[in-house]
Amino acid sequence: MEILLQLVFSGIALGMIYAVIAFGYQLTFATSGTLNFGQGEALMLGALVGLSLVGNIHGGPYLNYWLMIPVVIVFGALQGVVVEWIGVRPALKIKSEFGWIMSTIALAIIFKNVAENIWGKDDLTFPTPLSATPFQVFGANVQPMQIVVVLGALAMMLAVEMFNRKSIYGKAVVATSNDRDAAGLMGINTSMVITFSYALSSATAAFAGVLVAPLTLTGATMGTSLGLKAFAVAIIGGLTSGMGAIVGGLILGVAETLTGFYISTGYKEVPGLVLLLLVLAIKPAGLFGKTAIKKV
Amino acid sequence: MNTISKACVAAALISWSLAGMAAEPIKIGVSGPFTGGSAPMGVSMRDGVKLAVADINAHGGVLGRQLQLVERDDEAKNERGVQVAQELINKEKVVGTVGFINTGVALASQRFYQEAKIPVMNNVATGSIVTKQFVGPDNKDNYVFRNAANDTIQSAMIVDEAVVRQKHTKVAILADSTNYGQLGREDLERALAAKGIKPVAVEKYNLKDVDMTAQLLKAKQGGAEVVLTYGIGPELAQIANGMEKLNWKVPIIGSWTLSMGNFIDNAGKNGDGARMPQTFIQDPSSPKRKAFIEAYQKAYKIDRMPSPVSAAQGYDSVYLLAAAIKQAGSTDGVKVREALENLNGTVDGVVTSYTKPYTHDDHEAIKPNMVVIGEVKGGRVVLAK
Repeated sequence: MEILLQLVFSGIALGMIYAVIAFGYQLTFATSGTLNFGQGEALMLGALVGLSLVGNIHGGPYLNYWLMIPVVIVFGALQGVVVEWIGVRPALKIKSEFGWIMSTIALAIIFKNVAENIWGKDDLTFPTPLSATPFQVFGANVQPMQIVVVLGALAMMLAVEMFNRKSIYGKAVVATSNDRDAAGLMGINTSMVITFSYALSSATAAFAGVLVAPLTLTGATMGTSLGLKAFAVAIIGGLTSGMGAIVGGLILGVAETLTGFYISTGYKEVPGLVLLLLVLAIKPAGLFGKTAIKKV
Repeated sequence: MNTISKACVAAALISWSLAGMAAEPIKIGVSGPFTGGSAPMGVSMRDGVKLAVADINAHGGVLGRQLQLVERDDEAKNERGVQVAQELINKEKVVGTVGFINTGVALASQRFYQEAKIPVMNNVATGSIVTKQFVGPDNKDNYVFRNAANDTIQSAMIVDEAVVRQKHTKVAILADSTNYGQLGREDLERALAAKGIKPVAVEKYNLKDVDMTAQLLKAKQGGAEVVLTYGIGPELAQIANGMEKLNWKVPIIGSWTLSMGNFIDNAGKNGDGARMPQTFIQDPSSPKRKAFIEAYQKAYKIDRMPSPVSAAQGYDSVYLLAAAIKQAGSTDGVKVREALENLNGTVDGVVTSYTKPYTHDDHEAIKPNMVVIGEVKGGRVVLAK
């Protein structure tokens, strides 16, 4: 029983990491119908910028871990704006169906190479703000930082959802995601809303980066596999649902740790991907997604 | 006379006078990962090689010619290693190559040296089959040499440390999914079987895995009293850190890669006490070693060598190759191989003094009695007590 609980706890912490990145995917998809395939790299950049601030690699530490978080979020937002301006806006302007795919991937590769030159190709440790000693919950071990990851991720997603539902700006976002042309006719600056959604999505990824960095190692290559896993999560949960991102993330995270223990560590990644194929075959919009009706 | 022909004459004069001053240098290839997770080993090896070459050149070179290094980063990727091998052989026309950190890269690339009849010195790769790849009825001669403690030696020492010295009977094996990890795992299982022990868990993980919970839990549930590892620095650190996450503390004993700087740094206090076989420890236990460590620290402006074993073995590999070229009196690959297999005199290296290190059928310079057990202590590797 304790084993199962231990596996589930580890899976939840892992799954929440996927969920935050997946949440970022669906933020931009909602408003513009486009995705940032560099979400993993946005996470990596956030983690490395955070490391420069709190670690001792560039003459630091300059800031305390908790004070560093807002700085990294602002950095992430600016990075998202850059991606939108360079990679996505031109494609939207010429009504290109797929140009943004290549341009966001291209930007991701550029970010990775730049990071390799600034921070090197090696994995680095991120100083943890909390004690790494685990405590017991029903016989299973949990590290304080794992709790912070889960709570931090939930809090951030909740904040974004509240913003969208309650504030006037959020309503502009929702209006744009429902019907961009109509929102434009109602006087909403939709291209501004799209830029904003990119800023928000990269900021969440950067935030996720500094959350998970103390648990994993930090390095220029950390984003690639996380970004891909999170993409699978976004597809499983549905690209139009914040709830879907959380549930999808938890399913994938827990499935990975359980398979690793009960079947074989060699097959750890299989069930998540099988699930992805099943979802695509049976409910292509995702478990929580609304079926989009494409008007021709 | 126009400008171009003037330039031609000038160039001809310069090259003629240079040729008069020194004979053409002897080119030696250096192939290893200088970036990525294996980089501490590759960079240390390259730096050791460079020190040796600088020493030899300062003393007049070999056969009156200077040694010249051609360095290539194989990125620890098999396909890159193959490209590097072909480039070094066909374009750079090297006399020999030293290097190969990763067993997989060695196995993929050394075929080209064998075919070109050029000796290649494995100064770090430890897979047991590396030097045996071209032994057999089809190959009369073998051009693959090694001066590193192979996995047969290491796995026996690891098992000896765990089972005989520390008296554990329940062991778990955690190995990565590369050629290195899986070949090492087989060696470990064989060495355990020789002691009549069956591991309680044999788990594998991929490079870049961030969560080791499942693997470690299986080892823990099996009642393992010790974890034996075969992998490289960053993931080994994940294992040590993962143990802390589970609040489970048993000794880690593994292959020599537990001495890598990126394991020691990333595991921090969780890595303390990890034990591994070492041919060289950064400890000035002899004048030769003292001089080597000081020269290394001075040349590269660091205190702790990222991978002392790689640096020392890289240094020695150049001396072994140079001695063979000198004895052969030629840079012809066949003659250099014959000289390596029958070296006269003693080659004074950092790891040990090599007297007849190789024969026609034995291409392993490091014998079990040259290897000691090291232990991670306070961010450094020291001799285990």
